[in-house]
Amino acid sequence: MPSNRFDQAKPFATLGIVVLGWLLLPVFVKVFLRVGFFELQAPVHATTSYVRDLQEYWADRAHSNNELVEAGRQLRHVYAGYEYQAQQMEAQRAEIARLEQLLRLPSNPDYRFEPARVARRDLSGWWQQLVIRKGANYDIPIGAPVVYSGGVVGRVREVHAYTAVVDLVTSPRVRLAATIEDDPRPVSYQGGLNPPLAPARGIVEFVPPDLVTYSSAPRRLVTSGLGGVFPAGLTIGYVSRLEASTDGLFQSGEVSLDPRLSELTEVTVLVPLSPD
Amino acid sequence: MYRRWLIPFATTLLLWSLVGQLNHYLAPYGAYLFVSGLLVTFAALRLSLRNGLAATLLTALAVDALEPVPFGTHFVLFGLMHVVLFHLRTRFPREELIFGVVVALLANLGLFLGLSFVTLGDPPASGAAWLRLFADLGWSQLFIVAVAPWFLALQQRALELGRVDLADESRRFF
Repeated sequence: MPSNRFDQAKPFATLGIVVLGWLLLPVFVKVFLRVGFFELQAPVHATTSYVRDLQEYWADRAHSNNELVEAGRQLRHVYAGYEYQAQQMEAQRAEIARLEQLLRLPSNPDYRFEPARVARRDLSGWWQQLVIRKGANYDIPIGAPVVYSGGVVGRVREVHAYTAVVDLVTSPRVRLAATIEDDPRPVSYQGGLNPPLAPARGIVEFVPPDLVTYSSAPRRLVTSGLGGVFPAGLTIGYVSRLEASTDGLFQSGEVSLDPRLSELTEVTVLVPLSPD
Repeated sequence: MYRRWLIPFATTLLLWSLVGQLNHYLAPYGAYLFVSGLLVTFAALRLSLRNGLAATLLTALAVDALEPVPFGTHFVLFGLMHVVLFHLRTRFPREELIFGVVVALLANLGLFLGLSFVTLGDPPASGAAWLRLFADLGWSQLFIVAVAPWFLALQQRALELGRVDLADESRRFF
């Protein structure tokens, strides 16, 4: 009888020995294994991403020349508007630099813009992350902010040889220092409201009690610049509803996020030009 | 000898990659497929302890490398599920397809709940978070019902093509 029970316990004993061995394994071995297994799968993500790009190219080739000419014409109008705004921005930058020198103020951090294609979206109820097709080969640092045309995408969490993993702003692991537009007081944003079959939402907390929003006129939530990660003024979402928190000192509410966050194909990583 | 764990590992990596691509396209619709139960089922039911556990644990490390969990989380969860299934497999008709699908569903449920309790922590809106998780679990179980017969047959055929005697492998303990 005891030998039967031992036979029956062998699988569990074996697992126990394996898990014990795993726990005793040095950290550098685990790090090596993690990097190794990630890089083993990275070519699959990159390749499928390139195949999707090829599919889009051939889909675009299927359009008639007239359609392409018309699309090019529309893009020219948009491009002309952006060119004018870029010239205005350069003038404003020069003015800011002049004032900083005059008043002996420290400069705001400057960034290098690194556009990257999204290779893989991993948006579950536990986490929300993207894998992008640039990594250490483009000097992407850990913690770099990631943006897109609609505002904040998230933050780089891991950097590998030619890919990087970005925690999306919809992830419950992401917390940002923010402000509500036209109000300088800091509030806190956290992702994590990801309902099934619906756009993701976030949560805003520590909102001053005198701030009012209306569902017909939601107020824009922007990055505050505190913490030095994200530049100030980038759109996070829109706050349409606030309610008093349980302690009565502040308000909290939901933040409507851009539905495009879950279908991004290209993002821009802001790489700080000065290391600190 | 290495074929006995390498082939199942390769097939589970294939399924894992395909499901990853599906999740990429499902992301805009707020849905996510979780198929970890299916990754463990064949190795636990049909292979010896050593080869099956090797394939399962290697798969777990591959899953751990991509996901933002402490490295080793899936290693322990998958290993535990594998050993439980291995321990119980002699009592049931483990070569039957229906049984394989049922085991995959139950294993998936167990791993899903285990991962949720380990990973979720204290979410900002726990009610909404669990609603999303249960919706994802529902899609995932339906997906497993649809795909498990094909995948289990694929693994069996891959081993046969690799000239592995599955009957002998099933009879072996270690």
